Amino acid sequence: MATAVADRLQASFSQPVRLAVGGVGAVLVLSGCLLPWATFFFGFPGKVTLAGFPGGSRLYPLLLAAVAPLLAVSVEGRRRAGLAAAWGIVGITAFNIAAIGFGRSLPLGLLEERGGGGLGAVAIGAWLTLAGGALLVAAFASLRADDERPFHPRLPAPLELLAIAFSLGLILFAVVIALEVDETSRFISLVAFITVASMALARLGVFTYVTDLFDRHRTVTLAAAAVAAVVFPFTQGGNAYWIRVFASIGVFAAAAIGLNVVVGLAGLLDLGYIAFFGVGAYVGALFAGAARTTVHVKLPFLVVVVMGAVIAGLFGVIIGAPTLRLRGDYLAIVTLGFGEIFRILAFNFDWLTRGPNGISGVPDLAIGGYNFGATNEVLGFSLPGFANYYFVELILLAVVILAFTRLNDSRIGRAWIAIREDETAAAAMGINTYRLKMLAFGIGAFMAGAAGTVNSHVTTQVSPDSYGFLESILLLAAVVLGGMGTIGGALLGSAALFIVPEKLRSFQDKRLLLFGIALIVIIRFRPEGIVANRRRQAELHDGDPSSGDASGAPPGAAVVGAVSR
Amino acid sequence: MQQFLQQLVNGVVLGATYGLIALGYTMVYGIIQLINFAHGEIFMVGAFAGLAMYSYVLPESMQGNPFIVLPLVVLAAVVVSVTVALIVERFGYRPLRRAPRLAPLITAIGVSIFLQELVRLFYPGARSQVSFPRIIEGPNLELGGVTIARTSLFLLIVALGLMVALQTFIRTSRTGKAMRATSQDPDTARLMGINTDRIIVLTFALGAALAAVAGVMQGMRFVSIDFRIGFLGGVKAFTAAVLGGIGNITGAMLGGFVLGIVEAMTTQYLLGSAYKDVAAFVVLIAVLVFRPQGLLGERVAVRA
Repeated sequence: MATAVADRLQASFSQPVRLAVGGVGAVLVLSGCLLPWATFFFGFPGKVTLAGFPGGSRLYPLLLAAVAPLLAVSVEGRRRAGLAAAWGIVGITAFNIAAIGFGRSLPLGLLEERGGGGLGAVAIGAWLTLAGGALLVAAFASLRADDERPFHPRLPAPLELLAIAFSLGLILFAVVIALEVDETSRFISLVAFITVASMALARLGVFTYVTDLFDRHRTVTLAAAAVAAVVFPFTQGGNAYWIRVFASIGVFAAAAIGLNVVVGLAGLLDLGYIAFFGVGAYVGALFAGAARTTVHVKLPFLVVVVMGAVIAGLFGVIIGAPTLRLRGDYLAIVTLGFGEIFRILAFNFDWLTRGPNGISGVPDLAIGGYNFGATNEVLGFSLPGFANYYFVELILLAVVILAFTRLNDSRIGRAWIAIREDETAAAAMGINTYRLKMLAFGIGAFMAGAAGTVNSHVTTQVSPDSYGFLESILLLAAVVLGGMGTIGGALLGSAALFIVPEKLRSFQDKRLLLFGIALIVIIRFRPEGIVANRRRQAELHDGDPSSGDASGAPPGAAVVGAVSR
Repeated sequence: MQQFLQQLVNGVVLGATYGLIALGYTMVYGIIQLINFAHGEIFMVGAFAGLAMYSYVLPESMQGNPFIVLPLVVLAAVVVSVTVALIVERFGYRPLRRAPRLAPLITAIGVSIFLQELVRLFYPGARSQVSFPRIIEGPNLELGGVTIARTSLFLLIVALGLMVALQTFIRTSRTGKAMRATSQDPDTARLMGINTDRIIVLTFALGAALAAVAGVMQGMRFVSIDFRIGFLGGVKAFTAAVLGGIGNITGAMLGGFVLGIVEAMTTQYLLGSAYKDVAAFVVLIAVLVFRPQGLLGERVAVRA
């Protein structure tokens, strides 16, 4: 509907009128965000009753209003970028009006904030911002439709490196800020803000430019990303909470990348993948000298990691051998069956797994007398014990990512992609599809096993219920939502699946409901996921009229997609 | 021997439910080659809709009379299940008909989780098990030492009746013929003037209606339901469909009965109840490995 309204306005105003409408809109948003949004104080976060500064969610429309100057400058993609930002202003403001007016009584128990008092509690600032946002929508909608010509400045090399550092710094900064936002309504507004801001940037071609930049300066980017990841624990002021969450994300992401080999590269839908992770976790816990265990052998951690990975990999091959001859959709159900069998066996093999009680009291890691649970002081920063695990996982992730990229760029990776696209054709080209599928399965299982052993130390206990169908689905969701076949996608997907529920605590119960909806919506509208693999995106949007939509995929990509079919 | 006969009867009754759900899988697969992973959830939704009819709509004075209760409960279950299935088809699967095979499968998983959570969160008391009325009361029947609950006997008759009716419908009616044509070759069927979209919708609706009846049956037999029954029920019914030869209607029923009997027997004689769900998965894997076309299936050409 929104697009229909916008389309009707297309190329309707003359430039002066457009500038006037947009200008008034921008001024309204700016002033609206500096005026109070609520008439009286009832505990709504962000001091929204005070004037003169953009506290609380008021900051986001204010920042989005920065698109207004685009009306005066001729840049390709500005109409769609401006519309994204302007609709964002309207949406965020409307949401906050609802939150201030009705708070906890909103449907689904969305908010934990008090709110209330109806629309009478909403002050002038919110209404002005809403009106300003609507004017901006109109102004941008009245522009002529854009061509697709992404933003492509060529900067001198040192400046490009600076741009990379700046982008990554911005991401780290955004993460740190996002983690500090505590109230549900503000977090939802922030997520909306990040979404529309990224859409606007993507539509201006900035993302294509940055990805291209990353591609051209891969080493620098990797180094900078590593630095950003290492720096993260130091930004937390000795507080373990988020480091702990990120440690969990690290393990989950490593497993997700493993699943990405299976699903994203080879195109095998594995619905029982968590079982391999579980095998690793059990091996890790059993051989770590846990307090309540059945195997009283303690092996060095590095040995256990390799052991867990190898055993999980073997399971992968054993399970793969009979099932990989099947076609894709059968495979999904059979792997689901195997996943359930794993859980049922873990539940009933009391002599090994201690049944439903599981193995608990897994001790902290210790390598060469160094205890990983200890708090450290580095350069005057205090790092809680979990930071050690976080670093271990960074290493694990680095290894997994390296393996993934090397595989993806190799002959094997190309063969997997060929199998994914058309197994019959791949076989006709002389690819031994069965062996390569088995390899993908085995490697995926191996990675999950390694991640599982580390996880047993992070969670300190292992029990069958942590490795059920839902966990497999969560991993799959991370891969699909993030983007199949890309590393960034798996990382982003895992992070989102962990952080969003942590933040929306009042919503935690409805987490799965949201996942279900998210899966349906993503597959329908953006099957390539948040971080798109360019080739895959070209395939998925092949032949649909909005091809190249929001993607900035190079024009050649569509042809490549068509040919690869 | 008596124990064996008893397990055989239990297995057949169990298999009737699996068979009814399996029909939905098999028909949809036969027509659009889609494993409708969410079908198990349609079965679960049917059970809950029937229960809602019983506990919230029917006045208490009527609850004792099976001749009023049963048709109304089944009707509610069928109406709700069919509606849900049609919504899923229209907004979930139809837009993806030309998409890669992985896409509708992931959508199906999404739908499945969504429906489970919807029931868990918004059906009063559905976070744990909820009790289901027995509806048909009365003492068990004894036949040569084998005990059969009245409900079970009734269910078996209904299931068989529905299966025969469906078979006749597909074999003899004009619409049935159109369904067969669509499943053989959708493009040619369209050229022959068959509205294939309508046939696909009809297939989903028929499958959902049968699943809804199975849902009510399951509730009556176990006297309780919960939001998770769709997952196992769905996987087992899928196994039954594969066992019989997916796409084959007689096969689905046969597969259901065989699976039910296998499950009852392994539970009794081989593995014990802790592993009762393993049996189905092992059967599934064994069939796919050794006889992927199933008991009655013909060899299907691989479609690109």
